[in-house]
Amino acid sequence: MFLKHIDLTTALRPSYLPDEVLLFVQDNVGLYEGKFKLPNQQNGQVYLTSHRICYVDKDEPRKYSAALNLKEVDRYEFYAGFLKSSAKITIVPKPLKRSTLHNRVVSNTGVNSRGSTPSPAPSDNAYTPPSGPPSMTAATWVCTICSFSNPVPSNFDPTTANAHTPLPPCLACGIKPTLSQVLKAAISTASNRPAATTNTSQSGISSQEISSTAAPQSSDLLTFDTRTGGGQGKPDAGVSFHCPRCTFSNHPSLLSCEMCGAPLLSQNIPSSISSSEYIRTQSPGPVKDSNSKTSQGGTDFAESVKISFRGGGEKIFYERLKSAMTQRKWLLQDAPPAPKSNRAMDDSSPGSPSTPVQKTKTAGIAGLEQLGLNMRKNNEILIGSAFEDLEALMASAKEVVALAERFAQQVNGASGDVTSKDNSILAESAHQLGLITTKDIVGGGSSESLYFSELARNLAEFLTDDSRGVLKRAGGILTLVELWAMFNRARGGVELVSPMDFEKAAQMWEGLKLPVRLRKFRSGVMVVQARDRTDDATIKSILAWLQDLHEFPPDRDVAWDWREFGRGVTAQEAAERFGWSLGVAEEELLMAEEHGALCREEGLEGLKFWKNYIGSTDPALLQKKEAQEQADALIQRLKETGLIG
Amino acid sequence: MATTTTSPPPQSQSQPSSPSFPFPREYFFPAFFTRQTNITIHHAQLTKWSALILAYARHHRLFRITISAAAESDLFFNRGIDRRLNPPDIREVLDFMRKDGRAEFLRPGEGNGAADASSSAAASGGDVVFLYWRKPEEWAALVEAFVEETAQKGSVLTVYELTEGENTRGTEFHGMDNQVLMKALNILVKRGKAQIFGSEDSLGVKFF
Repeated sequence: MFLKHIDLTTALRPSYLPDEVLLFVQDNVGLYEGKFKLPNQQNGQVYLTSHRICYVDKDEPRKYSAALNLKEVDRYEFYAGFLKSSAKITIVPKPLKRSTLHNRVVSNTGVNSRGSTPSPAPSDNAYTPPSGPPSMTAATWVCTICSFSNPVPSNFDPTTANAHTPLPPCLACGIKPTLSQVLKAAISTASNRPAATTNTSQSGISSQEISSTAAPQSSDLLTFDTRTGGGQGKPDAGVSFHCPRCTFSNHPSLLSCEMCGAPLLSQNIPSSISSSEYIRTQSPGPVKDSNSKTSQGGTDFAESVKISFRGGGEKIFYERLKSAMTQRKWLLQDAPPAPKSNRAMDDSSPGSPSTPVQKTKTAGIAGLEQLGLNMRKNNEILIGSAFEDLEALMASAKEVVALAERFAQQVNGASGDVTSKDNSILAESAHQLGLITTKDIVGGGSSESLYFSELARNLAEFLTDDSRGVLKRAGGILTLVELWAMFNRARGGVELVSPMDFEKAAQMWEGLKLPVRLRKFRSGVMVVQARDRTDDATIKSILAWLQDLHEFPPDRDVAWDWREFGRGVTAQEAAERFGWSLGVAEEELLMAEEHGALCREEGLEGLKFWKNYIGSTDPALLQKKEAQEQADALIQRLKETGLIG
Repeated sequence: MATTTTSPPPQSQSQPSSPSFPFPREYFFPAFFTRQTNITIHHAQLTKWSALILAYARHHRLFRITISAAAESDLFFNRGIDRRLNPPDIREVLDFMRKDGRAEFLRPGEGNGAADASSSAAASGGDVVFLYWRKPEEWAALVEAFVEETAQKGSVLTVYELTEGENTRGTEFHGMDNQVLMKALNILVKRGKAQIFGSEDSLGVKFF
C-alpha cells in the first residue's frame, strides 16, 4: 500500500530518517484514500519532511500513524476547498505501469496549467480554455504614451519577429508600440525564469503558436509530455495569479499584488474555484468525473491519498511540498560520492585514481606530516570541486557537510579546555537536532498552540534522546533555564526560542502525556525531570546517601558523634553526589526539608542539611502512636488475664 | 524528682552546682541549634528545647534565668560541638514556653504579682524569665499540702520560714525563689486559703 505504518519517537513524533528535514507541520487534518475517508485517520497532525509525508493520529498515535514516501509520489494536486468541503491536497503515487499513466499525467497537467480560469468544465478533455489571457501572455510591455501594461500577444515569438510582424496597439490609448519594445519585454520575461523552465516554456510558446486556437490542448500536452512526469512542480508560465485580496490577475513572477500590494503566496497555487471542479469529491456534479478517473486509476495503480486540511495551512503545505518535490532530497541518500574525494581514512570511495600515490609508506613525524598534508590536499580538492559548479555541489553535498562537521569538531578539540567536551557535545546535538520546530514550519493558520505543542514534543525528544542523554547527564533533573540555554545553543544560534514560548511549551508536557514533566519548586524555580521521578524517590536517595555517611568517617575530625548523626551536607556536595546542578540540588534539599526528611543547620560553613533527628510532632502521628500503645497495653492485660494466648 | 540538692543561691542560675545533667540526644545534634524553617520540624524543635530547658532547670533548681547570661551557659551553648542557640532563638523558645504556661517574662512595669512588682523592677528589664518547671498552681498545692501535713493551719508563718526555715528542709520549695513563691501564695489567697500581711521585708502568711 501507498501508506506505510511508521515508528514514532518518545514524544509521538515520527522518527526521522538520516538527513531528513522537517519542513512543515499542520494539525487537524484527515486522510482519504481515493474518495473515501479513512475512518481511523481523521484527526491528526501531518508532518511534511524532505523525504516523507507523515500522518500522526491524535488519539491513537501508535496505531494509526502512517507515512508515504515522497519518492513514490507521482504528482499532487491542490483543491482549495468549497463551502463546507475543506481544502485538500491529493497525492497520487507512481504507477506500476508507466505507459498507461502518461496520457493521464499529461492531460492533468494540461488542465492544471489552465486552472486559473473560472469556468465550470464538465470534463477535462472537452474543456477548452477561454480565449481571454492565453498562457503565453506572461510578458507585458509598457506603453510609452499612457504607461499602460499591455500583454505581449500570444503569437509573438521573439525569435522570429521582424519589422513586419503585426503588433497590436496599446489597449488603453491605441498607439502601436515599436517592435524593439515588445521584443525587449518578451525576452526579459523569458530570461527572468530559471534556466530549466525557460527552455520548456519557450518550446511551449512555439508549439502553442503553431497550433491555432482550435486544438491547443493536444499540442500543449505533447509538449509537456516531452519533458516527462516529474515536472509538475515547475511553474507554468501560463498561470496568472489571482490576488487573494483584490482578485487582480497578477503576473506570475510578481511577489506582491500589483494593485493592492498584498503578498502573493505562490505563482502556482490554483487559488480559484476552478481547480475544485476537478478534484472535488463531495459535490455531486464533478464527482462523476473524478470518480471515473479514480476508479479507472484504481485498476492499474494504487489509489491516491488525500490530505484534508480542516484547520487551514494547506497553502503553505502545498508550497513546501512543491519545493520538496523539486529538491528531491531523498536522492541524496544514495548520492554517489563526490569526485576525487578520497580521504586517507575513508576507503569507501571506490576506484579513485589518485589513491596509490598517496599511500606511500612513511613513518615518524614525517609520516604524520605527510598524512596531514594529504588530508588537507584532499579537502582542498573536495571543496574546490564542490564549488566548481552548482551541479557538483549538489552531488557532493554529503561530503561537504561531513567535512564542515569535522572542521567544527577539530576547532572544538583544539580549544582543549574543560568546555571543549561540552562544546563538541553541543555541536553534535545541534547536528542531531536537525528536525527543529520553528514557527515557520508549523502551520500558521491554526493557532499558536500547535507551535507550542510541537515545540514541547521537540523538547521532550531532545531530553529523552538516549544518544544525547541530556537529562541523564544532569542527574535526571535540569532547571528550565539550563535546558533553555542548552536547547538554544544546540540550535546553533538560529531559530532561537524565546523564554516565554519555551515556558509555554514546557507547560504542555503534562497535557501531551510526554515522558518528561515540568516541576515547580516552592521558590518558583522550574525544573524538568522524567515523569517517573517523584519527590519520594528523590528523598529516598538523599536519605540513603546520608545514611552512608554514618558508615564512612568524615574527611576531618568533627566534634559530634558522626556514627550517630552522620554529617551535614551542603547543596554543593549534593550536586556533586547526584550530578545535579547547584540550583537543582538546593531545591531538592529544600524539598526534602519541606517533607520533613531533612533539617537544616546554618553555621560558618554555610547552610547544611542533616537527616531530621529533631523529629516531627505531627499530631496524627502522635495519635496513632498513642492508639498503638493503648492497644498494646490492652493486649498485654488480656494476656495476663489469660483471655488470649 | 531529685530532692537531695544542696540549696543553691537563688540568683546563681548559670553556675550549675550539681553534677552532670544528662543532656538529651538532640543536644549533641548540630542542626538542633539552628532555627528550623519547616513548620513541623520547628514545632518539634521548640517542644524539645522546652523540655530540655525545663529538665535542666529542674535538675539545677533554677527558678529564673537571665537570657543574656544563660546564652553563655552550657544549656544553650554546647561547647563540645561548638554550637549555640542564638539569643533571638532562645527568646523564641521561651516565648513558646510562655504560651504553654511554662515560663514568664519579667518586665518592669508589668504588674504580675501586685505584691512583688517593686522588687521585680530591680531585675534587668525584659531579660529575666521565670521558668515554671512547676506552675504556680502546683507550687501552691505543694505549700498547702505541707501546711496540712505539719498541722500548721491557723498559724502564721513568715515567707522566710517557708523557704529557708529548718522545718521546710527536705520539701521541694525549700530554697525557692521568693517571687515565684509569692505567686503561689497569692493563688492561695485568692482561693481564700491564706492571708498575706506584714511589710515588704517581713511578710507573714496565715493559712486557713
